[in-house]
Amino acid sequence: MTNRENEDQLTLYGQRFASRLLLGTARYESPQQLADAIRVGDPCLLTVSLRRQLPGAKDAGRSFWNLLRDTGRTILPNTAGCHDVREAVNTACMARELFDTSLIKLEVIGDEVNLQPDPFRLVETATELVKLGFQVLPYCTEDWVLCRRLMDAGCEVLMPWAAPIGTGQGPRNPSALRELRQRAPDIPLIVDAGIGLPSHACQVMEWGFDGVLVNSAVSRAIDPVGMASAFSAAVGAGRSAFLAGPMTVQELAVPSTPEIGRPFQQIHAWEQR
Amino acid sequence: MSVIVNGHPQPLPEPPTLAALLLLFSASTPFAVARNGEFVPRANYEECRINPGDQIVIVHPTVGG
Repeated sequence: MTNRENEDQLTLYGQRFASRLLLGTARYESPQQLADAIRVGDPCLLTVSLRRQLPGAKDAGRSFWNLLRDTGRTILPNTAGCHDVREAVNTACMARELFDTSLIKLEVIGDEVNLQPDPFRLVETATELVKLGFQVLPYCTEDWVLCRRLMDAGCEVLMPWAAPIGTGQGPRNPSALRELRQRAPDIPLIVDAGIGLPSHACQVMEWGFDGVLVNSAVSRAIDPVGMASAFSAAVGAGRSAFLAGPMTVQELAVPSTPEIGRPFQQIHAWEQR
Repeated sequence: MSVIVNGHPQPLPEPPTLAALLLLFSASTPFAVARNGEFVPRANYEECRINPGDQIVIVHPTVGG
């Protein structure tokens, strides 16, 4: 690791990470494929969930549990599928005990068509969870007032969507996302949901976002392991570009080659005006 | 007399505690539990009394995005 990479770590609730890629664990063809994607993508966090145990189920999550343990990665449980405050709070409490972490990716869904967060219940739930000692990473939209309320509630990380979950559309509202970054310069912002291509991830990182969470974009690729590698590189490239400071966009062409001393320099009529 | 475990009827155990129910259900570790929608910490399984018709949810880790 270079010195700059060492200095430029992602800090989430006091934990420092070298990688800025967060990876979902769902929809892979096999546990081995997931394990390979994790190894190649080198994510800082893995998102996981909870589901009901079937009576007499032989495995009941045990092999997945072992896979997670073997990766040695930090686990970020979610509250996927929750629609109200009580449901989300109790899911978070079960996740905290099961995964032994206070980190929680808070999802409170308000619409079944586009799986959009319910902004009102999200703030209410986040407020409750912060009081209970959780470190909340809320899945939210790019709406500035919502994000401000979540920060007021005690969230130290925000996870605005790029587009609806699983669509792969990429940033649907670039100007609002960039405005959010400008207005909330100090809080870690992870773009979550709707990323479909490494170029989408690279772009939001160039805008100054702190990380990207992807799942379907990797797991539903023809070659998920190859795509995990591509996302890892894209997130790194976007971050490096942000730190390097992109040039200012110009309205008109500006020659990059020196004008003076051209071998066959002539004064054109339009240059004399 | 039964309770509902993960949506399925289950005989009420004796003694009627959550710990006894989990033994009856043969819950596989790791798991976490809620009773009537409220999380029950592991430390409270022995003392958590259950009643006929209670809704018990037992969850385990799974993949997620």
